[in-house]
Amino acid sequence: MPVTVNVTSVIQKVVDGQREFAAEGATLGALIENIERAYPGFAGQIMDEQGEIRRFVNVYLNDEDVRYLGGKATPLKDGDTVSFLPALAGGM
Amino acid sequence: MPRIPRAVVDEMVAHAREDLPDEACGMVHAKDGVPVAVHRVKNDAASPYRYEMNPLQMMRLESRRDSEGEKLFAIYHSHIASAARPSPTDVRMAFFPPGEVEREPAYPETMYILVSLASEPPDVRAYWIRQGGEVVEEPIEII
Repeated sequence: MPVTVNVTSVIQKVVDGQREFAAEGATLGALIENIERAYPGFAGQIMDEQGEIRRFVNVYLNDEDVRYLGGKATPLKDGDTVSFLPALAGGM
Repeated sequence: MPRIPRAVVDEMVAHAREDLPDEACGMVHAKDGVPVAVHRVKNDAASPYRYEMNPLQMMRLESRRDSEGEKLFAIYHSHIASAARPSPTDVRMAFFPPGEVEREPAYPETMYILVSLASEPPDVRAYWIRQGGEVVEEPIEII
């Protein structure tokens, strides 16, 4: 299940500065585990201590937020694009 | 002292006014060190008190910077009724994960510009948010 992975800003640091690379996984959770094997520290950037996707990390399958799909159980297929995007936020 | 064209400042102020009552946010791109474009980004929080930049727009802008040879000169947002200075929330969120101020900031080479609509004319100021959470104003020259 090769998919295209996009990462931005701080997350690029743990994947050797890449913005885009290929990885495999039948589900989003499996994809994160596979990327973690290649780039140790990746999963810790994406997920909290409970293994849930961090509130301030946005994960998109193609152009859809995985929170509204199936979270880590979201199935992936060949040719999908998964994007891991840290939030840029603030407030008064 | 960073020099910022008047048109860039005017565009950030115009965006801040147009998005009232909510905070406005976006990115200023530079080419060869000169700020050249203001890119408005949707505030997904749609709130007078918070901003959260639309992640997909941010990703497209990052891609554009790579392809056009542009740099992220500044991240801007408005404060509708408070001073043009990063709030404690702004400082916390400048780190990833949020609040981990002992790490390097998420955007160590990028200034934060605050547009305050609390005064007339609006106040526009630039800051560095440093490792440790220190906020340092960078005086700007509007040209």
